[in-house]
This record gives sequence, C-alpha cells and structure tokens, in this order.
Amino acid sequence: MRALLTLSRAIDALNERLGRVANWMILIACVISAANAMIRYAFDISSNAWLEIQWYLFAGVVMLGASYTLQRNEHVRVDILYTQLPERGKEWLDLVGTAVFLIPSCLLIGWLSWPFFYESWHIQEHSGNAGGLLRWPVKILVPVGFALLALQGVSEIIKRAAALRGYVRLESHYERPVQ
Amino acid sequence: MIPLEWMPPLMFGGLIVIMLIGYPVAFSLSALGLMFGFLSIYLGFFNFNFLQAIPGRIFGSILSNELLLAIPFFTFMGAILEKCGLAEDMLDSMGQLFGPVRGGIGYSVIIVGFILGAITGTVAAQVIAMALISLPVMMRYKYNMRYATGVLAASGTITQLVPPSLVLVVLADQLGRSVGDMYLGAWGPSLLQIALFMLFTFLVSVVKPNWVPAIPRDELSLRGWELWKKCLWGIIPAAVLIFLVLGTLLLGLATPTEGGAMGSIGAIVLAAIRHPSLGKPGKRIALIGLIAAGVAAIIGVWAFKSVPFKVAIAVLYLVVAYLCIRAAAIPDLRKLIVAAYEATMRLTAMVIFILIGSTCFSIVFQGVDGGRWLEHLLTSLPGGAWGFLIFVNVFVFFIAFFLDFFEIVFIIVPLLAPIAKTLLTPIVGEDAALIWFGVMLCVNLQTSFMHPPFGFALFYLRGVAPKEVKSSDIYWGAIPWVFLQLILVALVVAFPKQVTMFLDTPVAYDLDKVKIEVPAIGEPEIPTPGQGAPAKSGDPLQDLLNKQEETDEKAGKALEDAFKK
Repeated sequence: MRALLTLSRAIDALNERLGRVANWMILIACVISAANAMIRYAFDISSNAWLEIQWYLFAGVVMLGASYTLQRNEHVRVDILYTQLPERGKEWLDLVGTAVFLIPSCLLIGWLSWPFFYESWHIQEHSGNAGGLLRWPVKILVPVGFALLALQGVSEIIKRAAALRGYVRLESHYERPVQ
Repeated sequence: MIPLEWMPPLMFGGLIVIMLIGYPVAFSLSALGLMFGFLSIYLGFFNFNFLQAIPGRIFGSILSNELLLAIPFFTFMGAILEKCGLAEDMLDSMGQLFGPVRGGIGYSVIIVGFILGAITGTVAAQVIAMALISLPVMMRYKYNMRYATGVLAASGTITQLVPPSLVLVVLADQLGRSVGDMYLGAWGPSLLQIALFMLFTFLVSVVKPNWVPAIPRDELSLRGWELWKKCLWGIIPAAVLIFLVLGTLLLGLATPTEGGAMGSIGAIVLAAIRHPSLGKPGKRIALIGLIAAGVAAIIGVWAFKSVPFKVAIAVLYLVVAYLCIRAAAIPDLRKLIVAAYEATMRLTAMVIFILIGSTCFSIVFQGVDGGRWLEHLLTSLPGGAWGFLIFVNVFVFFIAFFLDFFEIVFIIVPLLAPIAKTLLTPIVGEDAALIWFGVMLCVNLQTSFMHPPFGFALFYLRGVAPKEVKSSDIYWGAIPWVFLQLILVALVVAFPKQVTMFLDTPVAYDLDKVKIEVPAIGEPEIPTPGQGAPAKSGDPLQDLLNKQEETDEKAGKALEDAFKK
C-alpha cells in the first residue's frame, strides 16, 4: 500500500505542475487575444499564427488542466443523491466510478485519438491558413490529456482505497463549482 | 437481440440513471456513450470506424473552436470585477440616489444588476457583490427580508440574459447561430425583464408600503454634486467596459471572444486605477491614457487611421500595458488576479469536459437514429409547434432543478435544435427561428439559478448573508421572482416579435461579418478580419462581400463601410 501511495503522490505532483502550466496558459491566451484585437484595430497588423496560438493555448488549458481539476474534485456532479451519502459511501462511489467510467473511457478516447495525431505528425501537417502553425503539437494534446486523466484516475483510486482501509484520511470534500 | 428502435429510449433512460448516480457528469456521459457505442457495434448497427468520429469532433468542434475561448475570458473578467469594488460604488451611489423613494434600494439593485450584467456574464460575482453591499442597508432600514433576498437573487441572474451573457455565447455555439444575432435577440426580453422587476417592486411599494420603506433624506451621507460625482465614478468605467465588450462587437471591430479578452484586460486596468497603492505618478499616467483615448476619439472622427490617430492610440496602449504591469506588482491585486485565473482554469477544464462527454454521447445517439426518434416523439405532440414549445419549456424548467445551464445547453440543446428549426421556421422565418428558441431557453434557464433549494443564486446569497437572515426567508423570497421569470418565458413564447424585431435592423448586416469569423464546426478557417479588404480570391471575407453586393447592393455597401473602418 505504501508503494501505491507513493505512486499516487507522484501522479498528483505531476498533474499539479501541469495544472500550473494550464493556469498560465489562461493568462497568456487572454493577453494575446486582447493585444491581437487592439493592434489589429489601430495598426492593421495581424497574422493567422497569433489567431491560432489562442486556441492552441485553449486546447492546452482543457487537456492539461482537466486532470488537476479532477484531483481537486471540481468536475461537476448531479449531487442530489451524492450529498446524502456518508463519507464511506462517497469514497466507494468515486472508487467504482473511476474504475468503471473514467479510466476505460479516457483510455479508449486517448487510444482513438492517437492515429489522429500520428498522421498529422507523419505528414508534418500545417494549418490551411497562410502563415498558420504546425498542427501536431496541438493534436498530441488530445491523447496526452486523456492519458493524464486516466493516470489521475489511478491516483484517485489508490487514495480512495487507502482511505477505505483506514490508511489515510481523505478530504473528499465536494462543492458545486462557482459560475 | 435488441432492435434498433429500442436503442434511443434505452440511451435516454441510461442518461438519466447515470447522471443521478452522482459521479462527475463529464465522465459518466462519455462512458455511457462509449458503452452504447460498443453495444451497437456488437449488434451491428455501425462498425468500429464510426467511433473514430469522436476524436475528430473533440478536436474539430471543441478544442479548435475559437468561440468557446469566450468561456475562460468572461469568467476571468467576472472574477476580477467581483473584487475590484465597482459594484460597491455603483450600489452605494445609486442607493442614495433612489433611496428616498419607497422601494428605492430595490430599484437601485435592479438597475445595477442590469449594468453589471451588460459588462460581464457571471451570476456568482454579481450576487455576492450586490448582497454584501445592499443587504445590510436593506436590513438597517427594515426592508422585508423576503423581498430583500428575492430582489438580490433575481437581479443577480439578470446577467444571464443581458448580453454579453455567457449562456448566450454557448447557446449560439450549440445552435449554430452567430453570437451577434443572439445578443440582438436578447435585448428585447432583457429590457422587458427589468421592466417586470421594477413593476413588481412598484406594486409591492403600493400594496405593502412598510415592506420597502423610503430612507429618510437626512440620513443620506451624500448630497448634490458629491452624489452625482460618485454615481459617475461608478458609471463611466462601467460604460467603458461595456464598450470594450459589446461595442466592439456591434461595430464589427472584434469577435465576442476578443471582446471578452479586452474586457478582462480592462477589468485589470480598472482594478489598478481604483487601487489606493497606485500612487500619484501612476494616477498621472492613467490620466495621460485617458487624454490619449479622448484625443484618439476626436481625431478618429475626421482622420481615421491617420498618423496622429495612431500615435494617440499607441500612447493609450502603452498606458494600458503600464497599468497591467503595475497591477501585477501590487501584492493584493496580484493575489486577486492569480486567484482569478486559477479558478478560471479549473472551471474551463470542467465545462469543456462536459462538452466532450456529451459529444461522445450524442455521436452514438445520432448513430442509432436517436435524432429521428426524438423528432418523431416531439413533432407528434398535440398542438404542433406550440405544444412543442410548452413541452420544452416545462421540461427545461424541471430539469433545471438538477442540472446546470452548461449541462443543459451541451446535452439537451443539440438534440432539440433541429426539431426546433423545423417547427419554428413557419412562425418567425428560418433565420430567426433558432434565435427565438435560444433566447427563450435562456430566459427559462435563468430560473435554474433561483429554484429553491438548489438554485445557485440562493446558494451564494446564503453564503454571504448575515446569520439573522433565515434560510427560509431566502427560499420563500425567491418564489415570486421565479414566477415573474415564468411570466417572461410566456411573454417570449407568445410574442416572438420582441426577439425578432431587433434582428431586422440593418445592423444585422454588419454582424454577418462576425459570423464567419467564428466557425462553429469543422477545421477552423480563421480569417484575418480588419486587414483592409485584400482583393485576392479565396478570402472568405471577400467572398462574403462579393456575395452581399450581388444579392443586396445596399447591404453589401453597409458591410463594406463597416469593414473599412
């Protein structure tokens, strides 16, 4: 169990780092988007690369940030029944849900999206727009993101199992995300 | 062996069951979709290659969708505005302006709710900021507690309907309409909503005057010029932000996404200007920026894009950049900004993953002919189109007890859109059909924030209200406002004109330009707007321009003018 918990901590640390990268991507995308609009308006300078980098960053936010969001238990749930469950019930539900829903579907989607990236990499696909960017760096985010999510799923399972067997106490507090 | 006709109802039933379990919606949905996908492959309804559509859609219509970028930008902007004190100033000054009238604080909350709503699009920011300021005031002057909490919750949700609401952006994306048209369509109902809320407050002040007492004049701290100055100090920055976010879109200068980004930068600048530790030199530089903006505006009228104009604009941009850097250097502002974008990142990942999950579900659902099943079910309702509208509204009203608007828009709306288009086109015409439908859903979804006991607005209100405020007061207080909202839904259903009349104005032609900047589906082709009008072919803007001129000389002219600005 101790080895597994170490593994779980390592996964958590990795995804937390990537979460921090995703945080920065939000800020950078925002600055680029605003600056791009302002400069285009006044000086007629614009390029497709600056437009494309915005959604590259957006894809990065989503694919790299989702696993950290899972770690923080901030993916929204329908919580009518969930909030009624006792602590152990919640831990069981998360354990089974992660094993049955999250990990298989993430692995499958990740696997389905691999050829999608590989092809783009193989032919060095560029964007169709003039001055557009190379495509594979953003396409690889899809399989990587889903793999990271599955990995975070493993970590969550370890933590829940350890909590259920009394090795650790878990702060599995859930609050509906603010919007 | 399960026949094909059974698959859609089975999937739909599975959807309800799996969501109720309480595992995160995003992953439950994708798992459900894939499970049924494999079942269908096993039963031979489609083959494995069909599932290859999933990564294509995730990449093509979600990750590379420029419009969805508006979600983080608007959230970020809301998170900064919530804490920068703008709402406080406006409420304080408006409260003093209207206070001496019966129900005055109620009116001020509704008006400020509307103004804040026109800047940004997040309910949380609004309810929290307004409740912190106005609830203690209303309690001090013995307002009825139910009225006080109700008006706060309801005014907080106004932001959902007033452009540039995030709900409208997401709805536009899912319905495949332009955001600009969606915004235009929403103005009518949102003004009507303000009128309804004010009318209700007025009726309360007539029927139960002691529920909403007037503030005695000698208890006001500000009078005359002082009061007006404070009002302006709140309203002018608000107007600038509204121009950045909405004005630039209406003038065709920026996409909705860019409007959100500029609004976020504007909010940071505003927070920096209002911060006491900016100091004298900083304030002076901010003043220089203001003057430069004024000069640029004046020159722009006569000599647009001349050299002096560009110089003035460049000065303004430098000041904006300076203020942003200063904001990052002030410790508590920095903390605020960091907290804002961290929360924004997690919210964005969460929301987009709901969309990814619902995409998995809907690809398989369409694959087993679910679309046709649903269409058959809903078109055979008694009453035709009206039966459909009533059914959909009742359905959405009840489902909103359990689901958030993001979930409803991502899961339910794509299933209903084609049916709505078929049924509603005969009533308001093809172009307006989905706009009308979307605005109607938007008004309806507002109630989901006010349903006791799960409504978000009530939940936030509970979080910031003092202990003397009973939860039962918050719940009961919300009910009349939910009814007002339902009246508004009925009005939108009965009088589509209030949505469509704004669409008929020539402004809509300018917005076509925005429409093509925001490709909703497929590999994005992002044109570079505003680069003059290069005559090379293959440029979608130019193509549109030509087409417009062919079909409608005048409209094309208008577009060209707007375009050359």
